[in-house]
Amino acid sequence: MIKLTIDGKTIEVQEGTTVLQAAEEAGLYIPTLCNHPQVTPYGGCRLCMVDIEGARTLQPSCTLPATEGMVVHTQTEKVLNARKFVLTLIFSERNHFCMYCPVSDGDCELQNRAYDENMTHWDLQPNWQPFEVDASHEFIILDNNRCILCRRCTRACDELVGNFTLGFEERGAESLLVADYNVPLGESSCISCGTCVQICPTGSLIDRQSVYQGKETEVEQNIGVCVECSVGCQRNVLTRDNRLVRLEGDWDADFNHGLLCDQGRFLPLEEDRSRLLTPLVRKNGQLRAATWEQALDAIASNMNKGKGLAALASTRLPAEDLVLFNAIFKDGLNSDLVTSLEEGKATASLANLAEKMGKPFESSLDALKDTDAVLVLELDLVDEHQVPGFFIKRQIPAGTNLIVADGKENKLAARARVRLELNAGEEAKFLTNLLAAFDHETDDEGLNRAANILKSANNPCIVYGKTLAENADETALETLLTIAQKLDAALIGVKGEANSMAAAQLGLEKTFEKNGYESVFIALGDDKPSQKLVKRLEDIPFVVVQATYMSQLTGNADVVLPVTMWAEQSGSYLSLDGRLQKIGKALDAPEGILTSNESLLKIAETLSIEPDTDWKTTLLKRVPTVQIQES
Amino acid sequence: MTKPKVASDWLCGCAGCHMSFLDIDERILQVVELVELRATPITDLKEPDKDGVVVGILEGGIANTHNEHVAKRMRERCKILVALGDCAVFGGVPAMRNFFGEEAALKRAYIDAESNDSEGKIPRHPELAELTRVRAVNEVVKVDLHIPGCPPHADVIFYALAELAEGRIPEIKNDMLHWH
Repeated sequence: MIKLTIDGKTIEVQEGTTVLQAAEEAGLYIPTLCNHPQVTPYGGCRLCMVDIEGARTLQPSCTLPATEGMVVHTQTEKVLNARKFVLTLIFSERNHFCMYCPVSDGDCELQNRAYDENMTHWDLQPNWQPFEVDASHEFIILDNNRCILCRRCTRACDELVGNFTLGFEERGAESLLVADYNVPLGESSCISCGTCVQICPTGSLIDRQSVYQGKETEVEQNIGVCVECSVGCQRNVLTRDNRLVRLEGDWDADFNHGLLCDQGRFLPLEEDRSRLLTPLVRKNGQLRAATWEQALDAIASNMNKGKGLAALASTRLPAEDLVLFNAIFKDGLNSDLVTSLEEGKATASLANLAEKMGKPFESSLDALKDTDAVLVLELDLVDEHQVPGFFIKRQIPAGTNLIVADGKENKLAARARVRLELNAGEEAKFLTNLLAAFDHETDDEGLNRAANILKSANNPCIVYGKTLAENADETALETLLTIAQKLDAALIGVKGEANSMAAAQLGLEKTFEKNGYESVFIALGDDKPSQKLVKRLEDIPFVVVQATYMSQLTGNADVVLPVTMWAEQSGSYLSLDGRLQKIGKALDAPEGILTSNESLLKIAETLSIEPDTDWKTTLLKRVPTVQIQES
Repeated sequence: MTKPKVASDWLCGCAGCHMSFLDIDERILQVVELVELRATPITDLKEPDKDGVVVGILEGGIANTHNEHVAKRMRERCKILVALGDCAVFGGVPAMRNFFGEEAALKRAYIDAESNDSEGKIPRHPELAELTRVRAVNEVVKVDLHIPGCPPHADVIFYALAELAEGRIPEIKNDMLHWH
């Protein structure tokens, strides 16, 4: 421990603590701009300068390590004058005319710091050097005119996302934030995760979707979880006047600490499907608007009860809804088939293995944050489940070895130290060969290198995708498990949709085949129906679809029940690594729209079924593939 | 005791700051109790008293030789010069043209603008003021008090005038401090 005094307050801090962190621990405020808790201190803006007794000049507190007996002053006249001067210099460097800028009056850290210092004007005028604005990107505008060269964005792109797209060209006042080797951002290697936009302290990186839609003081913040894949990133939903404004990562979130991918941040705001606003019932061959009562009556009189009935639910639905769905169609009606739209393809064999072993065998995604060797099997973490991909990519410069085994094109493989060929269907053979390579040299040089890297790693991880889980039989999975045990490696299986894991817990894993079903019930929610599903339902006499948006599926249905989309409902989601998280309702649904849960309860009531309401016990009953943790 | 004299003028602005001044509504009666309003764009006197005023207020940035003249005249004739609004304080919206230059701005307005006919030409006459780079007032003359805002809120203007009338220099901070 180190003892130091800041503004007369003596405190003890851990070795390696910066003066800024020490001040924060002591409850003292030092203004900053280039500093951000999630990225390495840079000492670029000089706003956090403090007076150290015995030091010749003021020192930036964000990069200065605290030392024993240090005496720091943060409020001397010299410090206060320096702060104002630093701000004046920043304002004079580029176009910081707040009235032209969307983040002015609330969302701009530069302006807020100037307000804190009671700055009513600038003593230096700008140098009037215009820079070209880059509006080539679908979601992001890059405006160098408003850049303060703090490099938070480049550090975030490198250190948090591991994408290394953003960088600086030229020096001093000519410094330019550029993508790759100065190509338009829209044509660059940018993966549109938007972390740079979220971390930018000024209006230099602007989110096109939400610009001018509401400042931080004007929007409501709803803490939630992303439902775009099974990773379960914590995500804030910003709304204003019952309208979705923006989706943001939460810097304080334990798991993803502020990161989101394009699927979670930008794409949900691009929703352009037409909303279903009333129940529909087919009459004389035509689908017509109806009341809820009429729709429920149609279900009561035309839907098969049990025999001849198949029921499928989307794995984007909250766990509560999946449990209720299962209770109605399996326990209540004893239907011929009750499954999920994913049909448990990626989860069934794993769930069976966990049951056989009687205990979980997979690990938390946190293992990826501090790994020195990762084996990724048949999975492109650049295309899907991107945030765990960020965890891997960002560690590669520090020496983490990546091994990618895939038979298809895999964008993650470009960063791999070893690339192995693994064709779908050959998983068992591949895993047996890999296991052999741990014991002795094989003919396959790549396999030998991979085995050596994994063997000498301290914290190895193995991540596998849906393809492997679908194709591998029990023996192959057991071989995988043996490999993991041999290496003491964390095993992580990517599941699919937001609640694939919950569906697995409920055993919603049967295959939906043409089997003479007379009625089919689909709890689709806001999911997108596949063409394959539409096709398979073509000759089913009676189809009920509970959905948010119009689609070919609802167009062909006999009864359509309109339900809420993800932001209009609350519910729980079980991530691929067992985090059970709750999402609150952020938006009010249009009038007459029920949540999937309410709609299912109405169906239960109509059919005189009394479903068990203790959803959590039901969800936790089966032995999970990974330890379930409630948050 | 005689009431302190106050004069104001506008330079390259949009008159919005003076509109915001009028937004103090009935409090203007309190203002005239406290100060003597002399030449302003909302009174009928054309220029500040030759024998001087206590407070001179300028709205707008300095965009041409005429603005420069008006600013210097106000400075000479007042004890306390106030820069009112973002244009006077920073240059404001008109300062956007500094990124392109005066000639480009004239050409865009008088020749290239879609509404111009083919004979559009830039008006030039010895009696017309010449455009300059748009400057904040404090780049041309010394300013004693800056009140930023686009426009500054009526409450801020009232507060500032009341303080000045009492012989104090108001502190523009916290909720009153807004650049837009």
